[in-house]
Amino acid sequence: MPKIRVLVDEDLCIGAASCVTIAPETFQMNEDNKAWVLDHGAEEGGHKYERWMEVTEDEKENIVLAAQSCPTLAVFIYLEDGTQIFPDM
Amino acid sequence: MRYVIIGGGVAGTTAAEYLRKLDTEAEITLVSEEHHSLYSRVLLPHLIKGKVPRERIFLKKDDWYYKQNIDVLIGVVVEKLDVKNKFVLLTGGRELEFDKLLIATGGEVRTIDDDLRGVSYFRTLDDADHISQLLNELPHGARGGIYGGGFIACEYLNLFRHFEMPTTIAFRGKHFWSRVLEVEAGTLINDHLVKEGVEVHVSADLVSLTGETQLEGFVTTAGEHPCSMLGVGIGVTPDFSYLSEAGVETGNGVKANEYLETNIENIFTAGDVAEFYDSIAGRHLNVKNWMNAMSQGRAVAQNMAGTKTPFELVSSYSINTLGLEMIFVGDVDKDAVDKVHVIGSADAGGVTQVYERDGKVVGGVMIGRNTDRKPITDGIKEKRSAEEVIKSVNN
Repeated sequence: MPKIRVLVDEDLCIGAASCVTIAPETFQMNEDNKAWVLDHGAEEGGHKYERWMEVTEDEKENIVLAAQSCPTLAVFIYLEDGTQIFPDM
Repeated sequence: MRYVIIGGGVAGTTAAEYLRKLDTEAEITLVSEEHHSLYSRVLLPHLIKGKVPRERIFLKKDDWYYKQNIDVLIGVVVEKLDVKNKFVLLTGGRELEFDKLLIATGGEVRTIDDDLRGVSYFRTLDDADHISQLLNELPHGARGGIYGGGFIACEYLNLFRHFEMPTTIAFRGKHFWSRVLEVEAGTLINDHLVKEGVEVHVSADLVSLTGETQLEGFVTTAGEHPCSMLGVGIGVTPDFSYLSEAGVETGNGVKANEYLETNIENIFTAGDVAEFYDSIAGRHLNVKNWMNAMSQGRAVAQNMAGTKTPFELVSSYSINTLGLEMIFVGDVDKDAVDKVHVIGSADAGGVTQVYERDGKVVGGVMIGRNTDRKPITDGIKEKRSAEEVIKSVNN
């Protein structure tokens, strides 16, 4: 399974919550109305805006879809070798 | 198959993208009024403030359309629709035939009658460039004026704050979103603005502008308000004349069922312009936000390509205005519900409104109470009783 790093830029996040709608296992809104990053619904090590996680290809595709749906492009996704797969560079 | 999509915003472009995924052979033509590839309107305030570079706001590169084999006609609008012979007439006289048509034209900003240098509107990238230019020319400490009491007014409040401009706001209602908010929530927002140093005038109808060529202020029924720049945010109003002439049913938007089909076969609609049957709310809604437009773009592509897919989404919108978070979820029209429950108070710094119809919760507004968002959103999705949802909110 591919390992990816998912990061929410809290400065760009405006709380639209489209990522939560599409991938609730990966994103949840916090009390500041910004999106935390979760690993399959779990928050090991506490609340975080950034997390490594192992995902299936389908899960990865859905997380990318969630990132694409963000109107401020606040969600960043990287592969293990550091390649940024979203937003497109 | 020939698909024609009118509107190059997020609904239309997403539909084109998904149609191409579903049908590699089809002819897809996107008719766009704006001279830009798809960009995020939501990022425009960030752009003006310099928080993101210009290239970051574009969601599709110029060559994306070519690579996807999507034909784009820019700077054109539709002047006539012929549903019998299935073509649209474009500005410049070109006729474009279609097998299936998508109307995703969004809305045009409603304008005031007068215009002077210094008056601005805020919907498009060109508007954002205009605002940036005006801001650049103003001396430090120049006063900003705002007319309107909705989302665009909130954007202007934040912009003027960012550029350290003292601000005067005037709007027609007694408080922001008078068709959505009850007095308690409205009072909370008014109080917050005053506390933040904004000069607020309520029940103020615009009378005129002052100044010869350059704006010097605006006059409302509440008085005269000097300012060097005015932001007008009084809603949008789409042009339906060519659709009505063609027999397409319109109301607040282009009427559609839950499959985003209009009353005319093979003609679909999506995004800000659509007034679609929302099966969760149980009535037609016209929703104007990014999440709704993008999701409908995906759903309508499925339906246009022949896979019947009902559109279902509890959409939401949120904005932070001078530090106060405001979140709107689901159906929040006061006149369309049986009861609006008000939780919290202006004095406590947070008000939540829960909208109830036929015993079920159908919508929610949270002003300064972010954590109520999840129980209310889940409650709407799961069609729970308002009573049950209110209990979970109070806890």
